[in-house]
Amino acid sequence: MIRAPLVKALGALGSPTHQIASRAVRTSAVLAQTPAKAPEKIEVFVDDIPVMVLPGTTVLQAAAEVGVEIPRFCYHERLAVAGNCRMCLVEVEKSPKPVAACAMPVMKGWRIKTNSDLTRKAREGVMEFLLMNHPLDCPICDQGGECDLQDQAMAFGSDRSRFTDINYTGKRAVEDKDIGPLVKTVMTRCIHCTRCVRFASEIAGVDDLGTTGRGNDMQIGTYVEKLFLTELSGNVIDLCPVGALTNKPYSFVARPWEIRKVDSIDVLDAVGSNIVVSTRTNEVLRILPRENEDVNEEWLADKSRFACDGLKRQRLVAPMVRMPNGELQAVEWEGALIAVAKALQKAKGQVAGIAGQLADVEAMVALKDLVNRLDGELLVTEQDFIKGSGIEVRSSYLLNSTIAGLEQADAVLLVGTNPRYEAPLVNTRLRKAYVHNELQIASIGPKIDLSYQHNNLGADPNLVKDVCNGSHAFSKVLEGAKKPAIIIGVDVLERPDGAAIHATISEYCKKLKKPDWNPFNVLHNSASQVGAFDVGYQPGIQAVLQAQPKVLFLLNADAGKVTRDQLPKDCFVVYIGSHGDNGASIADAVLPGAAYTEKQAIYVNTEGRPQQTLPGVSPPGMAREDWKILRALSEVVGKPLAYDNLDELRARLESLAPHLTRLGELQPASGGESVAKPSISISSTPIDVKQKELRDYFMTDAISRASPTMAKCISAVNKQQRQDEARRCAAV
Amino acid sequence: MSLIRQALARTAPTMQFTARRWASSQDGGPLDPSTALARPEELEQRNKLSGKITVPVEVNLGPISGVPEEQLKERRVRIHIPPKNAMQSGTDNINTWQIEFDNRERWENPLMGWASTGDPLSNLNVKFGSKEEAITYCERNGWRWFVDGDLKPKKERVKNYGINFSWNKRTRVSTK
Repeated sequence: MIRAPLVKALGALGSPTHQIASRAVRTSAVLAQTPAKAPEKIEVFVDDIPVMVLPGTTVLQAAAEVGVEIPRFCYHERLAVAGNCRMCLVEVEKSPKPVAACAMPVMKGWRIKTNSDLTRKAREGVMEFLLMNHPLDCPICDQGGECDLQDQAMAFGSDRSRFTDINYTGKRAVEDKDIGPLVKTVMTRCIHCTRCVRFASEIAGVDDLGTTGRGNDMQIGTYVEKLFLTELSGNVIDLCPVGALTNKPYSFVARPWEIRKVDSIDVLDAVGSNIVVSTRTNEVLRILPRENEDVNEEWLADKSRFACDGLKRQRLVAPMVRMPNGELQAVEWEGALIAVAKALQKAKGQVAGIAGQLADVEAMVALKDLVNRLDGELLVTEQDFIKGSGIEVRSSYLLNSTIAGLEQADAVLLVGTNPRYEAPLVNTRLRKAYVHNELQIASIGPKIDLSYQHNNLGADPNLVKDVCNGSHAFSKVLEGAKKPAIIIGVDVLERPDGAAIHATISEYCKKLKKPDWNPFNVLHNSASQVGAFDVGYQPGIQAVLQAQPKVLFLLNADAGKVTRDQLPKDCFVVYIGSHGDNGASIADAVLPGAAYTEKQAIYVNTEGRPQQTLPGVSPPGMAREDWKILRALSEVVGKPLAYDNLDELRARLESLAPHLTRLGELQPASGGESVAKPSISISSTPIDVKQKELRDYFMTDAISRASPTMAKCISAVNKQQRQDEARRCAAV
Repeated sequence: MSLIRQALARTAPTMQFTARRWASSQDGGPLDPSTALARPEELEQRNKLSGKITVPVEVNLGPISGVPEEQLKERRVRIHIPPKNAMQSGTDNINTWQIEFDNRERWENPLMGWASTGDPLSNLNVKFGSKEEAITYCERNGWRWFVDGDLKPKKERVKNYGINFSWNKRTRVSTK
């Protein structure tokens, strides 16, 4: 049943009535929010245990409060209530029939019986119906071992079935769908919980999945043949309680009981999603999200989830030195370190370092200490940012409203950023606020699809000035909002007039500032950036290129911004990193480092939250942890660094920036933003973003560029586009 | 009258005190022959068995536990709460504190294809009732530990079936 709701239809027309309507909604929402007085809690009894809950709490939530978990399939706490699986039926005293716990709000004095005869009978009945049409293919099902249906059939199902196939018709069979290179479908196993449908339409904002037919003939699918292409598609695999939607690259690879799980942090974007790395026999098999309410909730973006096969390809496994004939040749560690040390001694202080997208804080500190001990000063990040006093104040380069805080925002201006692909899980927060908090969003930059409706003001950078001096219509919205936020993308800040835009917005944000709410936000897209600024790196490679160093360290710098032509002929380039990518190809010495799943290292996300990765596997071949390589090198050069193990290095980190070792905690960056007025004024070059479409999203760093799954995603997007075009031509 | 009473009250305690001292010095009660005849070491032993054992506050089982020294010195114990499996909705096994050692290299055994490891502590996975218990345990064994994560109160969510159908909100569901 697909029908456009009234609000959406009005919004598509962009009519003034919609604006009035939405304003009316806003005021009513505000009225509803104002706490007249805290609502009185009511008492209910779950299995005779009394519990006080707020009115409106569902039976399922009330039971969860006393630790009683009611079985469920369709209910998910981060999705809308559907109430269609009926597994959560429980008996309520004096109620004529069992109630669906997930949808029914409790009433005062209810006595809920979660383990009575009636409840158990209801569960057994539901389970019997589900299993009647569910294939008995657990031995060849990828969900086997972590399947909700398996577990709940064991715990709550009947011990025998009354189903006998008297007509020999067999079980219900449904054709499998091809919904892309990431999600494998076996639709016969589907139990119609519609979690995937709700995820796609509510969280991802892509109304591609839906149901057709009813009763026994109901099917989940895209109706027309179409790929389910979104940057969050992997999450439907986790949501699926059975094996209908499974991980395609991981299919038939491992069983859950063979796997070891290591809690870690994702570094392929600057969100710092918490992940669980599943490993077996020193191999990363898959990556799953780990719940963290403050960062990624329970979701994970596709690049972070599926690019893990890039960790096995294009890896540097041995140190290499460029021979006189121009070839890189694998050597022993000793030889490589001596070659680098010789070059360092010849350089006489003309040493510089560039930290790339995947560099961890420990390695960056070790590199900084080494370069400083060799009398070098130049330490920069590969990703550019504004020059001058821009990074002296910490709050001027952070997402100050915090990722979780954006959920409460009620007016957001995006300046030159596409959060949908630069930080998909920040975008889900914005979408959440859009759906539940009537958030108004405007963007300055190219027209892009953000998965929610927003007002594109145009791409002219002078609009920033207009908004910030209050003459633009959207300024009224920002100034009237309770929690306004302005999010600037790093692509804008790379521009020559980035500093001017930054200063204008930060000046305006001082006006918008509320107690305990900072509206000024910078959305980074590389995981190392905030950490690099915290330990004292400068933005942009221009300074290094101007200085013409004799030895240049590339620490995971793979974006290809530094080329051999820009450097002096006799410059000795040392690459430290995990993948043979742009950095290694121009290096004179390659020192193989560890990827993020192979080391214990700190990364700071875009809101300034330090989090650490834990090693799931060991580095391949002769590769070593990056800071250890630098420590060994310092010994060979004769300027040993003052730390021998991770604890001592962490102590050094703490002395540099104390907040870095308070893992998982957010230190609010105090103080105003930079006040220095830049000399350049805002130019008129239109604001652009790098990642406009889904195909730009999949390959952004050395790991995802090496990943065959990401390559398949790009070709799938291209194929889908060709098909759409062909269909459109045929229609015309 | 009152003066006399005050004077009496002042002298009374001293009188009692002297009386008590006299009594105690006179007869210490009957002597227990087993105590009187016992050797000093026997007395000590008996004393030990009678009351509670006093244990030094800091115990280091490290040197006597038989764990090789290189394991004690280089390993770090992580004290944490296991995360919920994203693939499933059950939460029964994730409410305890656990300790685990840092991960060491594993490889595929050429004989059977199973995972092998040279790490004797890789499967040591102990559950505790609280963070403090886990810390005490690690301290006693002389392991270096760190606490990862903490118990966070669950966010309160409003779950409402009706908002799927509200006419003027964006929560209205059109895709079913």
